[in-house]
Amino acid sequence: MTTIKRKKFICTFCKGDVHQIDYKDAQLLSQFVTYYRSIQNRFHTGVCLKHQKSLAVAIKRARTMGLLPFVRHEK
Amino acid sequence: MKKYELMAIIVNNVDEKVAQDVVKSSILNRVAEFGGKTTFEDFWGARGFAYIIHGQKWGYYFVCQFEMEGVNITKLERELNIDNKIVRFLITSVEAKSPAPEKYEALKARSEAAKKKKEVSEQQSPESEISAEKEIPPRDAVDKKFDQIMDDASAEL
Repeated sequence: MTTIKRKKFICTFCKGDVHQIDYKDAQLLSQFVTYYRSIQNRFHTGVCLKHQKSLAVAIKRARTMGLLPFVRHEK
Repeated sequence: MKKYELMAIIVNNVDEKVAQDVVKSSILNRVAEFGGKTTFEDFWGARGFAYIIHGQKWGYYFVCQFEMEGVNITKLERELNIDNKIVRFLITSVEAKSPAPEKYEALKARSEAAKKKKEVSEQQSPESEISAEKEIPPRDAVDKKFDQIMDDASAEL
């Protein structure tokens, strides 16, 4: 049987040695939401479980303070 | 004493100077009142909301960090909730390991640089994909090759 070699994903926040993700950086957080502005799955973001959890918290905080939208508004 | 971060949105029906006075009177003075010690403060200025809040499209943002006893945080929250000049606020705890707070100008410059970098990479990528594709041979050359194969009696078709 042939074994499939999978590409090893490395978390972007682990690389930068980030401990607590900043909710004020809306530009960074906007990379981890979908077209309709919902939080992206860990499968798609490629972020480790620990950082995905703090990322979700940061996005929710940014939303309540009006830095990120809850839903996409078509113009 | 624990470290906390406070972000507040101030109403947009006042001037920027008045908004800064509001920050002093209603936030910083209250933090001091409850035994807090401010270590960092940054007035962002006017900024648009991502969605409409209380019928308004923009407001003045303010961020500060302070050290305070955890018991007094609920008292401070109650005072800020009553205040008319504050649209929304958020108090979060700051971890000891987290790096030094950043000014808004630095944060803005960093995000704009990242945006430009992304745009440039998006512009370049489709062009490179097209160039990587195989060149399609002209029609005459294909026809000639086809005729050659058909004429060749030795070829097993």
